Amino acid sequence: MDFKLTEKQQQFREEVRDFLKAEMARGIYPFGSIHLAGALSREFSKEVSRKGWIGLAWPKEHGGQGLGYTDRIIMLEEMFRVAAPMAYHYMGDRQVGPGLIHFGSDFLKREFLPKILNADACFALLFSEPEAGSDLANCKTTAVEEGDHFIINGQKIWTSGGHYAECGWVLARTNFDPSISKYNSFSEIIVDMKSPGVTIRPIINIVGAHSFNEVFFDNVKVGKGYLVGKKDNGFRQIMTNLDYERAGIDRLMQNYRVKEVLLEYVKTNKRNGRPLSGDTLIRDTVAKIEVEYEVARLFVYYVASLLDQGKIPSFEAAMGKTICTLFEAKLADVATTLMGLPGLLMPGSPEALFDGVVCESYLWSPSYTLQGGTVEVLKNIIAQRGLKIGGK
Amino acid sequence: MDFNFNEDQRILTDMARKFFEKEAPKSLVRETMHDRKGYSPPMWQKMSELGWMGLAFDEKYGGYGGSFLEVAIIFEEMGRAAVPTPFFSTVILSGLLLQDSGSEELKRKHLTKIAGGECISTLALVGKSGVYSKEEIGLEAKAVGDHYLINGAASFVPYAHVADNIICAARTPPASGEGVTLFIIAGKAEGIEIIPLKTIVGEGVDCVVNMRDVKVNQGQILGEPGKGWECIERLWPKIAVALSCKCVGGMKKAMELTIAHVNERVQFGKPLAALQVVQHMCAEMFIKSETSRHAAYHAAWLISEGLDCEKEAAIAKAWCGEAFKDVTKIAHQLTGGIGFTEEFDLHLYTKNAKNLELLFGDGVFHRNVVAGRVGL
Repeated sequence: MDFKLTEKQQQFREEVRDFLKAEMARGIYPFGSIHLAGALSREFSKEVSRKGWIGLAWPKEHGGQGLGYTDRIIMLEEMFRVAAPMAYHYMGDRQVGPGLIHFGSDFLKREFLPKILNADACFALLFSEPEAGSDLANCKTTAVEEGDHFIINGQKIWTSGGHYAECGWVLARTNFDPSISKYNSFSEIIVDMKSPGVTIRPIINIVGAHSFNEVFFDNVKVGKGYLVGKKDNGFRQIMTNLDYERAGIDRLMQNYRVKEVLLEYVKTNKRNGRPLSGDTLIRDTVAKIEVEYEVARLFVYYVASLLDQGKIPSFEAAMGKTICTLFEAKLADVATTLMGLPGLLMPGSPEALFDGVVCESYLWSPSYTLQGGTVEVLKNIIAQRGLKIGGK
Repeated sequence: MDFNFNEDQRILTDMARKFFEKEAPKSLVRETMHDRKGYSPPMWQKMSELGWMGLAFDEKYGGYGGSFLEVAIIFEEMGRAAVPTPFFSTVILSGLLLQDSGSEELKRKHLTKIAGGECISTLALVGKSGVYSKEEIGLEAKAVGDHYLINGAASFVPYAHVADNIICAARTPPASGEGVTLFIIAGKAEGIEIIPLKTIVGEGVDCVVNMRDVKVNQGQILGEPGKGWECIERLWPKIAVALSCKCVGGMKKAMELTIAHVNERVQFGKPLAALQVVQHMCAEMFIKSETSRHAAYHAAWLISEGLDCEKEAAIAKAWCGEAFKDVTKIAHQLTGGIGFTEEFDLHLYTKNAKNLELLFGDGVFHRNVVAGRVGL
């Protein structure tokens, strides 16, 4: 057992902190947004790219730094701590790159890995459909082979960043033989979001934000070279990728600012003439948040350590995500309740506390326990893969 | 970072588990719960022969110079076995207190015996309210000439009735050194009356210790006069982490019992485990036991490295104490009627869980420490 970060890792954390401090001081990038991976700023992503921090954990032969997952967690922890604007490169770095490295052809690697690394391509993931949420194998979008092309038809939904991404990572049905399992009937295909036949309709969420979209495909033509991995193997590829997605620190850290302002609020405010920090119930409430945060944080580092040992965490990643999402959903609830009515003031309102971030976070919170696998789906995985009970 | 045991630690885990499986069958555990001694002397003797009482202590006091992690492993396995022993009161409450705060003379006299497994020792800390605070201490020591006289009552003193030595925390008035002073007293000293209590975990574990004019001299003072509470506070993280590890072992076993049950028990023509609602409840138990394991061993590792761990130890105890209890609640819901019987083993864990939740500070107590550490 050794819970210490290496000297090098501690230095790396300092380096990331110094970089972020300097970038924030320039005052030109939109730090502080608790949306997904922060605000969109290709210019900031370019700065990160120049540091070599996109593709940090990718192998060197693919243009990455060949560092570990723990290093990546350290970097992201610092980025999220200040809510750095990572939206432009986030999906490419986290999901698309590793997916291509695992499954992609040489052509796709040559075509897209440098673009992701240089912050020249922003990706959106197009998996969910109106009839395929948790039951992803119920996808209806089709990609039919026609000469050297696929012709894609169908509808995707909940596409985060679909309105600004240049590239789409699409799951579509490619095998129509009813005797074949649905799980062996899908493929992953990269689509240029500006292709003729792609229509994007914004969906406004309950925060009032435009973060996701509906995307319609009407006879969209894509070269066969853009098929990722093996035809009909897409579902399995996605499942492998999801374990990496869940192994992140996003869900723990996206709302870090809420935890910070909650502490600041309790430290600096009085009620009925007495400091809040002296109130037993309030101390316990805040400490519960802190305990859960630290327990979840330790688990995130545990999952990263498994990846660094060359293991693919499956139930462990599901467990990590469960703990983190339940934590972040609770955080905003506790913070709004503790601050009372002023805690419900929205961003932009007169008198808003901390720019309304607490109320905004509360409104975002129902989505945390849904995206990337609902808590219920994750618990199925934990029971079936981790405890070997139930299952199909 | 490396979250795994090393080879030696894996061997120790394996050895301890096999030892308790062989030496502490549940028939013995049940018997011990209703036995007024509260432990099994033959098993205690065998633990001593394995050298476990000396794991935590310096070689110069007859210990093995092991790290706190090894002790943590024994606690996890003891929690798993659910077997009552005076190990905690002897090794942690007395041994580590002596090692960290005792004079050379006291260590030579008492710690060597503890490390050698030659004595049972305990700590009389709280008064009858069972509250862990200076103000609630029920013993008082008055200086009379060159000695002290102790009067009053301490309660929830583990294994006082079989202890060779009792370390007493007594309030000392200004003239005798303001605050709390720790004294080491022979369990059979004149003026001591010990009454075993019937608690949730057994009839021979906790005791009331009444003292009437118990005479002690300066040489029996552990640490400095009036500075006893500081010694207790220094020991607190180790206490919290040892108990957290016990929780970890207990909750893992309670979960395993439950999973075996839901796999075997058939209702509606299929095992309970085939029901998703049951799977989710099992997943919740698993989340609690895995998170607890890391929280407890993280803190244990900090202790073994000699690093500051006040916050992490408090986090571990707050989390593990409540998690163990929550696991037993889920376990009862899933094991139904059979889980509510004495013949099924679950109740041993249910009782330990509730006791461990409160022992040396409940969740609120430890979270208050955490609150302090984040600046509140």
